[in-house]
Amino acid sequence: MPEDSFETGVAVGERWARTDGRAKVRGELLYAADQPARPCLDVAIHRSTWPHARLVSVDTTDARAMDGVVAVVTGADLHAVLGERMLTGPAFADQPCLAYDKVRYVGEPIAAVIGYGPAAVRRAAEEIDVAYADLEPIHDVDAAIAGTAFVHDELRPSAVFGDLRHLRGKKDTNVNYEYTLRHGNSGAAAETAAHTTSGDFWCPPTHHVPIELPFTAAWPEGDRIEVLSTTQTPSYVRQTLADLLDLPLNRVRVRCAPLGGSFGAKMYDRLEPLAAALAWTQRTAVRIAVTREEAFLLTTRHGAAVTGSMASDEAGDIVAAEADVRYDTGAYADVGPRITAKSGMIANGPYRIANATVRSRCVYTNKPSAGPFRGFGVPQVTWAHESLIDELARARDEDPAAFRRRNLLREGDVAVMGTTMHSADFISCLDAVTGAVGWDAPLEPAAGRLRRGRGVAVGIKAVLTPTISNATLQLNQDGSATLLISTVDMGQGSDTIMAQIAAEVLCLGEGQVRVVTADTDVTPYDTITAGSRSTYHTGNAVRLAAEKMRDRLIGLAAGRLSVETTDIKLTSDGVVSTQTQETLTVPDLLLGHFGARGTTLTTEADFATSWAPYDKETGRSPQVTEHWFAGAAAVQLIVDTATGRVHIEHLAVAGDVGRAINPALVEQQLTGAAVMGIGHALFDELVFDEGQITNGTLLDYQLPSIKDMPDRITPIVIQSPHRSGPFGAKGVGETAIIPLAPAISNAVRDAIGIRFTRLPLTPERIITALAEQHTEGGTA
Amino acid sequence: MAVFHRPGTLGEACALMAERGDAMVYGGGTAVQILEKQGVLFASDLVDISGIPGLANIEETSSGVRIGPMTTLRAVETSPLVRRVTPLAARVYGHVANPRVRNTASVGGNLAHGDYRLDPPTALLVLDATVELTSSGGTRTVPLREFFVDFQRTAVRPGEIITAVEIPRQDEAAGSWFAKLSSLSANDWPCASAAALVTGGRRFGRVARRIRLGLGAVAPTPVFTQVEVAADAGADEAVDAARQAAEPLIDPIPDVRGGVAFKRHLALVAVEEAVRLSWEERSDARGFFRDRRRRR
Repeated sequence: MPEDSFETGVAVGERWARTDGRAKVRGELLYAADQPARPCLDVAIHRSTWPHARLVSVDTTDARAMDGVVAVVTGADLHAVLGERMLTGPAFADQPCLAYDKVRYVGEPIAAVIGYGPAAVRRAAEEIDVAYADLEPIHDVDAAIAGTAFVHDELRPSAVFGDLRHLRGKKDTNVNYEYTLRHGNSGAAAETAAHTTSGDFWCPPTHHVPIELPFTAAWPEGDRIEVLSTTQTPSYVRQTLADLLDLPLNRVRVRCAPLGGSFGAKMYDRLEPLAAALAWTQRTAVRIAVTREEAFLLTTRHGAAVTGSMASDEAGDIVAAEADVRYDTGAYADVGPRITAKSGMIANGPYRIANATVRSRCVYTNKPSAGPFRGFGVPQVTWAHESLIDELARARDEDPAAFRRRNLLREGDVAVMGTTMHSADFISCLDAVTGAVGWDAPLEPAAGRLRRGRGVAVGIKAVLTPTISNATLQLNQDGSATLLISTVDMGQGSDTIMAQIAAEVLCLGEGQVRVVTADTDVTPYDTITAGSRSTYHTGNAVRLAAEKMRDRLIGLAAGRLSVETTDIKLTSDGVVSTQTQETLTVPDLLLGHFGARGTTLTTEADFATSWAPYDKETGRSPQVTEHWFAGAAAVQLIVDTATGRVHIEHLAVAGDVGRAINPALVEQQLTGAAVMGIGHALFDELVFDEGQITNGTLLDYQLPSIKDMPDRITPIVIQSPHRSGPFGAKGVGETAIIPLAPAISNAVRDAIGIRFTRLPLTPERIITALAEQHTEGGTA
Repeated sequence: MAVFHRPGTLGEACALMAERGDAMVYGGGTAVQILEKQGVLFASDLVDISGIPGLANIEETSSGVRIGPMTTLRAVETSPLVRRVTPLAARVYGHVANPRVRNTASVGGNLAHGDYRLDPPTALLVLDATVELTSSGGTRTVPLREFFVDFQRTAVRPGEIITAVEIPRQDEAAGSWFAKLSSLSANDWPCASAAALVTGGRRFGRVARRIRLGLGAVAPTPVFTQVEVAADAGADEAVDAARQAAEPLIDPIPDVRGGVAFKRHLALVAVEEAVRLSWEERSDARGFFRDRRRRR
């Protein structure tokens, strides 16, 4: 569809201010833990000190006797009441909210103390005495595949995903899911290739570190359970709690509040199953407010190993690419199997590749569970393919940007996994970022011990498909609107842009559409607020609901003015008859219709996407996703060869967003993801020692500070409209983080001639590699 | 949970410190709060000395400056008096953490924390500062060079409160520099730090210059050394001499910020940077005055 068919008027494309910006900077916004709730008892959790052990006994006698303690609940207590329903999870029903037979990671909850005041319950939790019988721990993803110790005795796929059913009851494995892609014969093609590069790559586990800590309160309300929680997935949580407590959906209410950041940390099963199980079984109101140190144990980003190769012929076409991907999902699968497939299928990159093979596995180990994290597993495979293609270009003595440009997928191309590309303008993204950093200008050498370099990388990600969104729109008699959706605003600005989409259709102004915070008693089903899917999916539901509203207004006006509906137009002044120029304001129209002030006119719409499942033999699908995210990053930096520090002079990031509903928010998303990516590239990682996190505090876990910012960041919005996006729009929350680490590493390669395969590029790794280069001329 | 006290006089504070089992002085609270949150604070009583008048003053003395224990790090950093009398101290206090922490953390608490990675001790070591300790039994003075006795252990005895830090006047002609190298985020604790002060020279008719070095984060305590170099030596010679002097003191603790070999390497880079820039500042009077103007 040509771009001009998305021409817009009053709201879409405008830089409206965030609806919650003022309240946030003034400290007036109420996050979940600040929301008024009924008086709740506090909960402290006793956690495992062993990575892998059978629970022999859990002695709670001393804890129960302590002042302020109301109850102490063990995993065995809950298991006696809830049975196997206690096991929850989005892909596998494998995680108990309190361990009852064995523990699978250091920090796993074993018992909960309920009582008066955080200090009292915490003291009591320390008095719980657990006897363990240790089992062989599994710390490493490759050891988990090869070894004979198993984190789970058998696999337990959840009822949600039909394609996991065949794994039920499978024993003696730590691999809970495997995706394979076969396109042509990559092995044979590689043998006759002119140039081949290969490598073993590693991305460590990381943590999300949102500013707001996770929080859940839960209480029984007659025969119902009410929950107030920090979650990106209220609809999922409602279903999970209904299954856990064996209640119909209408007896489970999950309320949200705006989130103070999340990045995937507050999704699926976090504190909610435990809070609900305690509240329901003890018939009391409880609140779980975890510390920062506990938050590190709740979920992580998957560590991932990728063994990959890429080969080209004399002409510079990519003839073969292979990737063997192993995601470390920790003790519980969470959404790891989904990540394994959806990231595995693009593990060779967004290129025209004649022959491709991917094997992607999701592997249990004795670590905290890994789950969704901005990028959904894609940054880990991008680290491999964008390093490989860079080396391949260098092997060919070709400019890395030009080599990518020649081989990138274009509109209408069929990618290796079988799906046709649309609205994924890699070329414009690549050209924009290389142009911004002056790629073609000669690089001025840095003085003394400093070395300057430039690097570039691209990234591709598929939107989660299939998913479902609903919207309910109330037009109030005074002309203002109230929008009910279950999308959760966590700083990405969804409340602002959903209002813009509705306002665009209804010709309303800034501030005239209010978005109601998700509450499963009030707002309709939405799959998840994640995966950059909300602008497209919820946005389409909002657009459809608003269009129905517009049509209803036109119908009412046609009746009032006795003209055909085709003669009525909705404008910012109200409804206008194009024949008579007679105008009725919306308040007058609704007052006339209902005969009362304060009334509401309601419309609703749903929007769902569909996919074609992977072919069992080849892993290919003609419709694997509803749409693609395309992005690129280019960087110019300086490496200090004495300290090993990397200083970024200019970082340019671009993302094809289809259409920017709010360009300011798009730029902020691109910039925010890029800054997060800087951390992952240079120092952000969870460090484990024998299964124990050794840097799980904000003293030792490092995030980019203001002093780590590049001298200059340039976010660039590329708009290649999607044929069915709302006004052509797609999402943008993850786009810039995907190519970030390889872009930086490629620039380091350019600066000092060393290819790094392990993230992050800490000064120690750089200094060590420089020393080895000096003595051996090798690579890291 | 420790009992919190807020005495109004130094005498009351000393009495509390003497009477209570495991009493600890509460200064700005930036370290104590973290220990408390991590559950590793084992004090029976916290004695908050912020309500005692006169403990947050910076005064000029005949020999230098005297800084009260409740003076914030930010106040030292920005004090015109400290900047004039001991510019290296002002500079190094300005490197601690971030302005929010510097506006809260106290001079006394910072030293009493005794962490091997602290910035201020590196400058106070080269400037030959002393610490005044007061208890119900009286007052004594400990040279800073004897203050850090072991890993997170200081010369402060049970019952004692740091009541002042005295810093001798810095030779106006001295060159000085502070190098702080972090290995993770730029705003992190240092992985290695070095303060250097280069004194002496022809101006005083002496043939040698003295390089004093205070090192942070590179051993279980902050460490000090000094070395003499011919006044007409080049910066490279000065750096070599300083590195040789520093090397035996470097005894890094491996952690997430780096292993022993890397920290050893980085410590020597910090020494080199601090010495080279101090040496050049000392040798280049114009540079010296330009820098002094900038600091004001």
